[in-house]
Amino acid sequence: MSTPTESGIADREVARSTNTFAGDVWVNFKRWNLKAVRNPFVLVVSLAQPFIFLVLFTEVFGNVAGGAVSQGLPGIDYTTFLVPAIAIQVALASAVTSGIGLVNDIENGMFEKVLVSPMNRTAVFVGKTLAEVFRIALQIAIILGLGVLLGAEITTGVVGAVGIMAVGILFSFWFIAFSNMLAVLTRDQESTIIGANLLQFPLLFLSSAFLPLEVLPNWIQLFARINPVTYGVDAARAIMLDEDVMTVLEVTAFGGALDTIVPAVAVLVGLGSVFGAGAIYLLSRASSSDVR
Amino acid sequence: MSNEQSVADAETLRAHSRDSNVGRTGFAEGTSIDISGLEVTYGDGTEAVSGVDLTVGDGEFFGFLGPNGAGKTTVIKVLATLLSPTAGEVRVNGFDVRTEPRKIRESIGYMAQETSIDPELTAEENIRFACEAYGVPRGDRDERTAELLDLVDLEAVADKRSEEFSGGMKKRLDAATALVHRPPLVFLDEPTTGLDPTARNRLWEYFQRINEQGTTIFLTTQYLEEADTLCERLAVILDGKIVADGSPADLKRQVGGDVLDIEMGDGPEARARAAAIAREFDDFDTATVEETETGISVTAQAARQSGTDLLVALRDAGLIVTGFNVRAPTLDDVFLAITGERVDTDGGAAATEEST
Repeated sequence: MSTPTESGIADREVARSTNTFAGDVWVNFKRWNLKAVRNPFVLVVSLAQPFIFLVLFTEVFGNVAGGAVSQGLPGIDYTTFLVPAIAIQVALASAVTSGIGLVNDIENGMFEKVLVSPMNRTAVFVGKTLAEVFRIALQIAIILGLGVLLGAEITTGVVGAVGIMAVGILFSFWFIAFSNMLAVLTRDQESTIIGANLLQFPLLFLSSAFLPLEVLPNWIQLFARINPVTYGVDAARAIMLDEDVMTVLEVTAFGGALDTIVPAVAVLVGLGSVFGAGAIYLLSRASSSDVR
Repeated sequence: MSNEQSVADAETLRAHSRDSNVGRTGFAEGTSIDISGLEVTYGDGTEAVSGVDLTVGDGEFFGFLGPNGAGKTTVIKVLATLLSPTAGEVRVNGFDVRTEPRKIRESIGYMAQETSIDPELTAEENIRFACEAYGVPRGDRDERTAELLDLVDLEAVADKRSEEFSGGMKKRLDAATALVHRPPLVFLDEPTTGLDPTARNRLWEYFQRINEQGTTIFLTTQYLEEADTLCERLAVILDGKIVADGSPADLKRQVGGDVLDIEMGDGPEARARAAAIAREFDDFDTATVEETETGISVTAQAARQSGTDLLVALRDAGLIVTGFNVRAPTLDDVFLAITGERVDTDGGAAATEEST
């Protein structure tokens, strides 16, 4: 039988240093990245579906859709038109996993475990979200690479590619917030997945993602105006083509691609702030010790 | 294990924590937990805890005993800063739960009733995450992690993902993660519910070891046997109120001794006769005799020593005994003695446990 002195715990003192905000962010960032690596299934699925879309759409609709695209954007082939939309689709698909991760944490007790720890609670969620955003950036980079292999052209080059990743990240915030709100409200993995996934396809198809809005029915054009995907896709596409591609808002103040990027980014920032505030409210209510 | 050594360690720890107590105000020296007038009322009007007063001293192994829904988890959640009290004063390690929750979180370990580990991480990664979450200095993390893996006997599976672990292994890992910062006070909420006896014994050994090293332990349980084995002092909670407080021996004294269950072959008439014989049986000074569905149940101090004599007496009276069992009083018996009513203490029914 071992004695306490041998086990080395006998010289007890509360041995801890002070937690720092940045340190707490880093700890959680590492944990969620580790979980993502441990769970390649989630990584692959959230990449595979958009990738299948990219290949199937260009092969099946390429000729037909190419005609429609060239009416509004002469000289642009369908693959180049589609890649920015697929980048946004990746952001959307990956953002859902944020809520799923939270539900899992609530179910396996890690949520409570983190609440009894001295970590700063804001830092905990910032770290988790950063890990998700980091993953989205990587996935968009992969999609852009595959797109280029399939013949797409990023007019603005590497800087543009980084810009598209930035737009994808900015776009993902509202949906990350939304999936976390679903997670807190339902506290159920299946409801969160279904709720978030049901929204994905209508949002993608009723936007400027797959075809120029001009060739789509009026009601879709109307819906596309209030659809966040339109603003994400338009911003990414403007960077991809270095052209003003936005048709839902007429802005001419900045010139060229910026006439799309500036208003789209403004809309996405606003949207992210509103949904972010909602998610922060629900998360802080879920973490509070108030008796309910 | 050398007792003197443990005592010396505990003394050192107490001296140490006394030093760090400088600046705490209105707090009795050597007190880990101080609760007065605690009330917790849920939003739907349920009074989970109504008027609990309790103090637990440094280094104590304290047991909080009660059936499902009695308010054990609610009290432990208040102490762990997960739930705010509706009324009353609660101080943990000298800090107020309302105004200094973070100070409390830094100085306690908490093991929730439901096993809380990240199944996607390995045993080692789970402990390492806890080390980082509790601000264990970078240079100490490797050593601390190895030390805790050793303490809970999970070295061999350190690199295995914890989702593959058995219930007992998961519990042990969970316990290890609550100790990374060497907290002077550890909360264990029904740590052995749902475990098989081997796993339970192993955890018990481990909890005793930490306590011997000077850690104050606050444990909730539904099992008197568990409280009996581990705890120096117990409080029994029922419907949100403390109904008894004392050492395990004190509590069992209230029951009035060991229990002899006798199964009878014949009908109710034979049971009544047997009960009458048992009541008049000379070797038991005071015995409580109860007719049960299958026979009789005798509670007496001398039940163990003189039980066989009673069986002989029953046989001499022409009664057929088909089975018998002498046992220590259970939580059920304690409750029967304290409250006069039997309570459901089925430990397997964890699903019905309060967990808000």
